[in-house]
Amino acid sequence: MPEYTLLTLLAVVAVVAAELIYFKSGIFATAQYWWTMLIIFAFQIPVDGWLTKLSAPIVIYNPDEILGLRAPWDIPIEDFGFGFAMVTLAILLWRRWVDRKSPPKEVRQG
Amino acid sequence: MGGVDHFQYLLLLACCLLITLPLEFVLSARVYRRAVGLAFAIIPVVIIFSIWDIVGILRDHWSYSTRFTTGWTLIFGMPIEELVFFVVVPICGLLTYEAVGQVLTLQRRRSRVGEADPYA
Repeated sequence: MPEYTLLTLLAVVAVVAAELIYFKSGIFATAQYWWTMLIIFAFQIPVDGWLTKLSAPIVIYNPDEILGLRAPWDIPIEDFGFGFAMVTLAILLWRRWVDRKSPPKEVRQG
Repeated sequence: MGGVDHFQYLLLLACCLLITLPLEFVLSARVYRRAVGLAFAIIPVVIIFSIWDIVGILRDHWSYSTRFTTGWTLIFGMPIEELVFFVVVPICGLLTYEAVGQVLTLQRRRSRVGEADPYA
């Protein structure tokens, strides 16, 4: 398996495992998280697409280290795993900080 | 145009910040206003993904256009643009997350009001 493909898979598994074993925030069961990911992926297409377009690439991928599935536009499919892992980790850390500041179980009065 | 070309990557990231900025105010995401929490979320992401970026450079997974980047690099040839990317994209993600949260809360509140009010 190409190395970038392998690292991307590992990153996705690691972030999911981090949530299930360590963070336990429950975000995977919320509409808020999945709507966010849907919007992020929608915006990833123009931004990442611009970065990776083969006509004038800003980031140049070694074809030996990716699967070679480049869509939509010329985005290496692996980038979506990379994006998922990065944004999910940021949300998990953010949630941890927010929940510590104001524990969700406490009912706010007024 | 050659001069502007070198800032293409940075300009793209600036656009991301500009487009998501209204979420902070219009939808009260309150991400920038919780700077400590933002730092708490962003710093580990920057460290982990910078290491990945450098591994990718050293293992020749990717390289960067010299035409569309400034040429300013950090350790192991990591472009400054990549560091900015690892700050900007999570910020956009958190702004989206909080904005979606606000919209869902508003919707829930509205539907609850709708149930209570027979004229709604």
